[in-house]
Formats: sequence, C-alpha cells, structure tokens
Amino acid sequence: MANRTPAAQRPNGSTQGKICQFKLVLLGESAVGKSSLVLRFVKGQFHEYQESTIGAAFLTQTVCLDDTTVKFEIWDTAGQERYHSLAPMYYRGAQAAIVVYDITNQDTFGRAKTWVKELQRQANPNIVIALAGNKHDLMNKRMVEYEEAQAYAEENGLLFMETSAKTAMNVNDIFLAIAKKLPKNEQTAGPGGSGQGRRLVEGDTGAKTAGNCCK
Amino acid sequence: MLLATHENVLTIVQAKFSCTEIVKALHLNASIKQKTWIDENRILALVEHELTYALFIIISEKLKPESISDLTIERAIPIDQHFFCDTDLIPETYSHIVFNIAYKNIKLHFTIEIGFESSNFASEVIRSKEVSVDNDKDFKWLDKYTVGIASITLLDTDMSDQSPDLPIARQKIAQGYEKSANRESLLRYQLSLKEPEYTHQQEFSIFVGTWNVNGQPPTISLKNWLSVDDEPPDVYAIGFQELDLSKEAFLMFDTPREAEWRKAIMDAIHPDTKYRSVAYVRLVGMQLEVLVNNSHYKHVKNVAIDTVGTGILGKMGNKGGVAVRLELHNTSLCFVNAHLAAGVEEVDRRNQDYNDINQRANFRRHPYTIREHDQVYWLGDLNYRITEQTAFQVKKHLANDDLSSVLLADQLNQQKDLSKVLQDYTEGDITFQPTYKFDLNTDIYDTSEKARAPAWTDRILWRGKGIHQIAYRSHMDLKISDHKPVSGLFKSEISVIDQNKYRKVHEELLKKMDKLENEFLPQVTVDQTEVTFDLVKFREPQYKDIIIANTGQVLAEFEFIKKLDDVSYCKDWLSITPFSGCIRPGEKCDLRLTVNLEQPLETIYDILVLHLIGGKDMFITVSGECQRSCFTTSIATLSRAPVPLLQLTPDQFKHAENQQSPVLYSVPRELWLLIDYLYRNGLKTRELFETSALHEEVIRIRDWLDLGSMDPIPGSIYAVAEALLLFLSYTRDPIIPYHLHDTCIAAASNYQNCKQIIMQKMLDLDRNVFLYLVMFLQELLKCSNENGTDAKTLATIFGDILLRDPVRNSRPQANRGKASFIYHFLINDQSPLIMPSGLQKYEQNDGRINCWAYSIIGQKNNCDDNLRKYWEYPDAEDPFALSEDFLKDGNFKPDNDGNQSSKDTQSSEN
Ligand SMILES: Nc1nc2c(ncn2[C@@H]2O[C@H](COP(=O)(O)OP(=O)(O)O)[C@@H](O)[C@H]2O)c(=O)[nH]1
Ligand SMILES: [Mg+2]
Repeated sequence: MANRTPAAQRPNGSTQGKICQFKLVLLGESAVGKSSLVLRFVKGQFHEYQESTIGAAFLTQTVCLDDTTVKFEIWDTAGQERYHSLAPMYYRGAQAAIVVYDITNQDTFGRAKTWVKELQRQANPNIVIALAGNKHDLMNKRMVEYEEAQAYAEENGLLFMETSAKTAMNVNDIFLAIAKKLPKNEQTAGPGGSGQGRRLVEGDTGAKTAGNCCK
Repeated sequence: MLLATHENVLTIVQAKFSCTEIVKALHLNASIKQKTWIDENRILALVEHELTYALFIIISEKLKPESISDLTIERAIPIDQHFFCDTDLIPETYSHIVFNIAYKNIKLHFTIEIGFESSNFASEVIRSKEVSVDNDKDFKWLDKYTVGIASITLLDTDMSDQSPDLPIARQKIAQGYEKSANRESLLRYQLSLKEPEYTHQQEFSIFVGTWNVNGQPPTISLKNWLSVDDEPPDVYAIGFQELDLSKEAFLMFDTPREAEWRKAIMDAIHPDTKYRSVAYVRLVGMQLEVLVNNSHYKHVKNVAIDTVGTGILGKMGNKGGVAVRLELHNTSLCFVNAHLAAGVEEVDRRNQDYNDINQRANFRRHPYTIREHDQVYWLGDLNYRITEQTAFQVKKHLANDDLSSVLLADQLNQQKDLSKVLQDYTEGDITFQPTYKFDLNTDIYDTSEKARAPAWTDRILWRGKGIHQIAYRSHMDLKISDHKPVSGLFKSEISVIDQNKYRKVHEELLKKMDKLENEFLPQVTVDQTEVTFDLVKFREPQYKDIIIANTGQVLAEFEFIKKLDDVSYCKDWLSITPFSGCIRPGEKCDLRLTVNLEQPLETIYDILVLHLIGGKDMFITVSGECQRSCFTTSIATLSRAPVPLLQLTPDQFKHAENQQSPVLYSVPRELWLLIDYLYRNGLKTRELFETSALHEEVIRIRDWLDLGSMDPIPGSIYAVAEALLLFLSYTRDPIIPYHLHDTCIAAASNYQNCKQIIMQKMLDLDRNVFLYLVMFLQELLKCSNENGTDAKTLATIFGDILLRDPVRNSRPQANRGKASFIYHFLINDQSPLIMPSGLQKYEQNDGRINCWAYSIIGQKNNCDDNLRKYWEYPDAEDPFALSEDFLKDGNFKPDNDGNQSSKDTQSSEN
C-alpha cells in the first residue's frame, strides 16, 4: 500500500454507473405512517411512538439499480390539515411522491385521493406517484380493500403497494419501484431542480451558498 | 471564507507571505499532541501560489496573534500527490475533531474544535488537494520557508501506515453545501481506496513497436515486426515517425501514407486473433495506433488523444509527440510516440522536447497529464546518439559484439542518469544493434560522407507498476528505411474488476455515506411550535421568545424562509430577531417574535418555516386575537358608528361597516375629539406635531377613544397631537385615496387643480376630514406667533400622512410634491369650499360639520359648546334641534360665490 499511486488520481471513474439524484416527497393524512416508512427505509427502525412531524423532515438514501444509482432526497411532510398550504413547497420540484394512507382508516384513503388529485394538477407533470396502503400488519382492522385501492391506482397510473413500516413489508420495494420508474436520462432537469434526475458531474461544485451569519 | 473575527488575524498572517502567496484559509488554535512536537499555539494556514497550495504550520506567541512578530513559520507542506488529509471524530466528544495530515511518511494529528471554522478549513484543504493532484506542480516557492528546517521526513515518529478512510467525508458532508457535487468524487476516492477488494490483477500482453520509416511507402510486409511472437498480444501500440517527409504532409497535415501504413499494420498483425483499433492519432509524420484484441474491446473506456508539436518555432509538428490514453478494465494506460530533435549535438533540445511533451500533453479529462497514468509506454525515435566515440570505434565494438562499451556512450543513458530526461522511466537491456543509420535496403551502417556513428535512436521505455518486459528487439528484416523497427513485448498487470464484488463494495460505501450524511445533517429542536399572543392591540408591541437548541452534531445554520408566493418569511405585523443564524452543537439560540399591529385585523395567524440549511424545515404557528381600534378603522365605518368602537355590539359593527347604513357624523367622532382638544388647548403650543410623546400616553388615548370615556383625555397635548397623526396615518384607507396619489402630486404646482381634485374626486366623508383638518391647521397658523409653526412645516408633516404612499416608504422624492399640494390648502381661504358642500350634503340629518368648521374658523356660537357636550358624552342630549335652530337662525349662510357652490354640488353627486 505504501507506495501505491495516490488513489485520488486513479482513473476508475469508468467502472461506476451514474448517480441520479431525485427529490421525493411523502404526503398523506397525519398518523398514517409517513415518518415511520422513512425511518424504516433509511435506518431500518420502527418506533411504536413516532413523534409527529411538525415541519418537513429531511433525509437521504441511495438505492442501487443495475446500471444506475439513485439517491433520494426525502422530504417527509407534516400531515395536519393546517399545514396543507405549505405542502406545495415540498412537492413542487419533486420528481417522486409517495402518498400514504392507513388501511385501517377509510378517511385517510379519501385524503390520499385528494393528494393524488392535487399532485396531478399542481406538481411536476412527470412526477412519479406511488400509493402506499400502510399498516398492512393490522389486516384484521382493515377498512380499505386492497382491490379498491389497486383499481384506483391503476386508473390513475400510480404505483401501488400495501406496506408495513412495522414489519418492513414492501418498504424497500416501494422505493425501489419508484427508483426504477424514474427517468434517468442525463440533464433533463430544468433550472431549479424540477424536471428529472440530476446527473452529478464531477467538478460541478455548484453555487456555494455561504452562511450569511458567520462571515 | 473566513470568520469575521479572523479578519485581523488574516491580515497579520498574510503579512508573513509575499503578495503572490495568498492565505486562503486559516485555522487558529490547532493543538498537536505528538511526542516530537512541543506544545505551542499553532495556526494552520492554507496558502496558494500560482495555483499550487501548501499547508503552513505557524507558531503563534499569542492565542490570537496581534502582530507579525508573534508568528514563526514552523513547517511548509506542499499539497501535492503525496499529501493526504482527513478528519477523525474523537470518541465520546463532540467538541473536537482530529485533523490528520499525511505527507510522505510524516503524519500529523491536530486537535481542533468542531465548528464552522474547522469544517470550512478542512474542506478548503481537501479541495486544494483535489485540484493539486492533477498536475505536476512546482513548489520551489516553498524553498525559502524550509531553509533551516530539518527535513520534514525525518522528524516524525508515528509511521504507522494508515490509509485515510471514510472520515475524510465527514466534515465535508456535514458541511451541507455542495454536498452532492462532492459526493461523486468522494465516492470515487473511497472506491479507489478499496480497489483491492473488488479487483484482481490479470496479465495482458502488450506489444509496443516504433519505426522511423524515412518517408517511404509500405512496400513490404510488416509481419516480421508485428507478428514474430507465438501468442497474439492483447494490445498493440504501434508508432511511426517520418511517415511522410513531403512538404504537403508538413503544411497540409494530409498524406496518403496514413491510410497505407494503417492498412499495412492491419495486414501484418497477429493472425491468430482479431483486433480492433481503439485509437489512432497522427501529427505530420508521427503516427500512433492502438489496437486491442476484440474480446477486450468492451473493457476499453475513456479513450483520448493529444498531440504536441515541438518542431519549428517550438510548436510545429515536424517534431514532438502524439499520445493515446485509455482505460483497460480498471488500469489507465498512456502510450506516447515521440520524435525528438535530431542532430548529434542537440541533446538539450531533445531533453527540452521531452519536457514540453510532458507539460503540454493534456487529455482534457481526468487524468489530464501523461504522468498520472498507471502505466505509461514511451516509444519513438528519441534521436539520442553516440557522441564520445567515432563511427569507426562504434562499428569496431559492434563487430566484436561489444554492445556494452557503446551503450556507455549512449546519450539517452547518460541523460537519464543525470535525470535530464525520462527520469523515472525504465528501459530493458539493449541486446540489439543500433537501429540507425543504415543505407537504404541494406544492413550496412551509413556509408555516406557524413558517416554518422550508428546509434540507438529508436527506443521503448515504460513507467508504472506491474510491467514486465518480455522482449526488446530490433527487426533487421525490414530494410526500406534508414532506421530498423524496434518492438517491446510486455506482460503487464491490468486491474480487472469483479463486478459482483464491486457492486457490493459500491453499495456498502453508499450506505456508509448515506448514514454519515444523515447522521451529520443539522438537527435542532424548538421549545414551542405554537406561539399564541395575548390580545393584540394597535401599536402596542408584544413579544414571545422561542428557544432553538442544536441537538445535532454539526453547526446548524438556520433561517426563516418564504412560503411559496409570499413576499417575506413572515407577515408584516411580525418581526423575528434574529431571523437567521448559526448555532454550534449543544448550544441554544433565543429568537424573539414581536407583533406590532398596525392594520385592521381581527386575528393574526401565520405559519413560519424555520429552515436548516442542508436539513429539515420546522413549522412554527403564530396566532392571536386582535382588538379593534379606531386608528385602523375606516372613516366610513367610524362615521356610521353610533357609539365608541369597543362599545359596539358585533351587529352594530357590521351595520356601521355597511356602506348602505346612514352616515351619522360628517367626521368621525374620534377625529373631532382629537382636533377639538388641540384647537382648544394647543394652538399656542410650540412644536406641537414635532415633539414625541410618551408611548403609554398615546396608548391610553387610544383606549380612551375606543372605549369611550367620561374622563378627561388621558395624555399631554403632545400625546394628543401624536394620536392625531397616528389616526390619520393608519386609517384603513388613506384620507386621499391611493388612486389619487399620483394625480395630486402631479397637480401640486397649481392650486386650482389641487382644489378640483379635492372637490370633485374625493368621497364626501374623506373630503370632510380633509377640509376639517385643513381648517384646524389654518387656525394653528393664525397663532404662529405664539406656536412658532409655519405653513411649510405643517404641509410637510401632513402631506406625507394625507398622501399616504401606496407602498410604504416608497419614493421619498415625492415628498416635496405632497407638501406643496397641502401647502395650497393651508394658505388659501377654505371657507367657501366647506359651507356649501357640507350643508347641502347633510342638511337633512346633520349640519354639524359646518358648525365645527365655524367653531374653528372663529365664528363662534352656542352650537359649539352643545356639540362638544354631545360628542364627548354620547348620552347627552341630542343637539339636532339645536342645530336646526341654529340653521334657521340664519347664522349660517351659504357662500355668495354661486359658481363655486353649483360646481361643488355637481361633484358631490358624482
Ligand atoms: N401497526 C403499525 N403501526 C404503524 C405503522 N406505521 C406507523 N405506525 C404507527 O402509526 C403512528 C403514526 O406514525 P407516523 O409515522 O408518525 O405517521 P405520520 O404522521 O404519517 O408521519 C405511530 O404510532 C407509528 O408507530 C405500521 O406499518 N403498522
Ligand atoms: Mg410524520
């Protein structure tokens, strides 16, 4: 090792697939399990008493596909109705959305449908939307039939899975399915990050937003 | 970017250096706890000189140096390919990190405090390292700093070989800025460190050939040169020089020979396998072609070429080099075919050409230069000769098979030994006769008059790991040129990626990076996300504090951000201090939210978005109930309100707000109370409107007006004056409506025009207020001897208030126009305007405006006192009868000017 060529200059860039970065937003009634799904996906954990989100939590997670690597910038939003007007801040410019409902609560499914409608009207027209019927582990209290949601998803061109943040069922799968469906062609992203996945190029240092408080 | 507090220090440190050596970043208070190092105050400085960077370790007498004499440069470490740095966390502490520096076999560990300074400094150094590895840099400028300092490599004791691992990523990732941009290069760097885990070395045979063909066409087969080995090589790199000596080739860069020789190559390569050309480049007579075995073709990537002319004028293509670079599997290869300066004595010129090729070749992608490749094969007619022996001596040694005697006199060997050329290249033993210069089509060395000494002009050298030469030979059968071709056969270790292992390593690294990235996201908590204010009253500021605590591991930089479509990060009744800032890990920051209500709201409500740069957003809801005040209510509503504002029942208020409801008063009661008080008590007060009153008194007057009270007005004359100004400034709609604002200013030079606007364009209620006020101001001016005021001052004060800007504080230059507009009304008699309009409009239900106007303009009568009584005490006897009497009495006469009056009538009906 001691006299190897310095690694940083090794030309092995060719061996990697490209990394595409996508903004993904979670929407849905509060307490349906949005934060729990993210926690499961990113950290592999589940909390019985998940703190409710007042704001928009941010985490990143990368998934590897065969030829590409997809990095999700995940925005987990607050579900309460009173924050509704703030949601566009998060879904505008997002390339993917997971709309979550709770299979034990019919109202949350209704709310999910209105989210889908709103996304179809207001979000980036190419947005990939997935519908997640969460809390599959509470099957015995099911109020929303699988077939009903499935049919709705099909009608609206959504990815659909029933998930459980608790048992981890379909959690990785739904993110993976989204990653696969996202367009990965280079440089279709418009300014401001809307549009499609941004290919990160080496040397693209980006605008350095210097802190305005510490200069 | 430097911390503000370090600006002075920067100046002092910069003074230690020359003006071409720029201090780019500083880190104060870097302590080093290693055996051979005395515990001193140290400063780290990143210094740039002509795009080279060096890290300086500077001893400072003081924690924060105050003058240049406090500083002593201890070390200067060039940031080149030998330089590494990273940061390590110290277990259990989150206050400090270790900043590791490795240079050759020296390793230094600085303990520095975590924070903006450290992450900034570390990332600046890392960045400088990234730009430095690309090129051979000249660090001579450091020499002056290292004189007298013991060689850097001897001093340190900690030699344990630890490769920089993932922590290098941390501060950078944690930084938040540009993290995604760095991510790929960081990932690449980490992957390269783990290369042994997912690659294995596989031997490839590489055939390198060079031949100066002396401008001859390929009339013979090249098989005896290119296909002499049993096994087909995996890679061919074949270079020619003097492909075409014609002027056309030199000037037009075009030659039929190119295609002929390429075909000759294809005809002669090893027949046992198929080849594909991956790159081909020619500059005048220098041509280089690289072929690979078909089966390897798909593993060749990032092929690039470049040419460097070093001939005539130092740039023409008659001499110089052509190069091809490519990646075969995971190993980068570079082939350089050079034709250096000719002439026995031109050794220095040849050395120079070599250096020029190295310096100027640039593949316009990473890695840019020849030397940065894993393996470099340097071939060509390098033109080095035998000088110290005569042609006769050389030929005699050769006849005796005594190559070694001649090789001693070989210029290339000599120059190489002197490190003048191809310094770190290796060449195999030469066991073949010199390849130059032969009589054409013979094996006989030059018999011409010049009778040059035979020489090994045609050579193949290499540089890099895992290269083993199998053969190095000349090919005497090819006789058409005055040179014989030479070839080298190599078995070279190429690093081959195991895709499965690679994917695993790749994925693991990504996971690790994700984890770190998430772990090092800024995190804060706020002590409340619901801020509810107590009853919010007009111009009575209230504040609530919230505490933000940094619960994460990195500096948290926060700011309140705008919601979509909003103009500001909060509503205008709210202010937040500070609205952005930085909090160190473990520390807190108090934010003060202050409401100051100046608009007619029933409730306040806003959701603030507190954004952490590079992290999450938090929502803070601000709400509260507001108390109504006459100050922010419209003139129209006040004129329809039967009782003071806070005595109104909700229904009464609604009724008053309804424009269809009858107007009860020509001017609002509140305005009358203020002006009347000033009229009676303040006409002789100096600087009535220029003296600021106690805020509480104004607040008390507000409550006195809003609640309705029998008490005397609770405040000084100045407080009443200020209340009047406030009243006029904040009425829900300006007295002169926004849409007339510009018209008024435009008309300001002409009184008649101004008058017309007031009389024709304004609503009656607004006009009443305007004229009433003007009458009062005229009264004030009548006493200017005592109160010292003048029309200009009043015009300026009231111009700004009555002609309220549509957007607050816009266009201060309009103020003069506003003042002159008002000025006209102060110096001209207004009584003709008032009487007819006021009377005609309200004669049915209210003649009072006229009464006040009279009371103010000095035509006192008994209506005055009665009215006052009624207005001050709403329960008092209705003065209507009285006013009717008063009107009947004929004390009140319309103005004689009939024109004026009829005009006014029209306008009020409009
Ligand atoms: N049984 C069950 N409970 C869940 C599941 N996902 C979330 N929860 C619980 O539902 C509650 C609300 O979850 P949370 O993630 O905060 O929902 P959010 O408001 O949509 O972010 C928490 O108590 C979770 O523990 C699930 O898949 N199964
Ligand atoms: Mg949540």
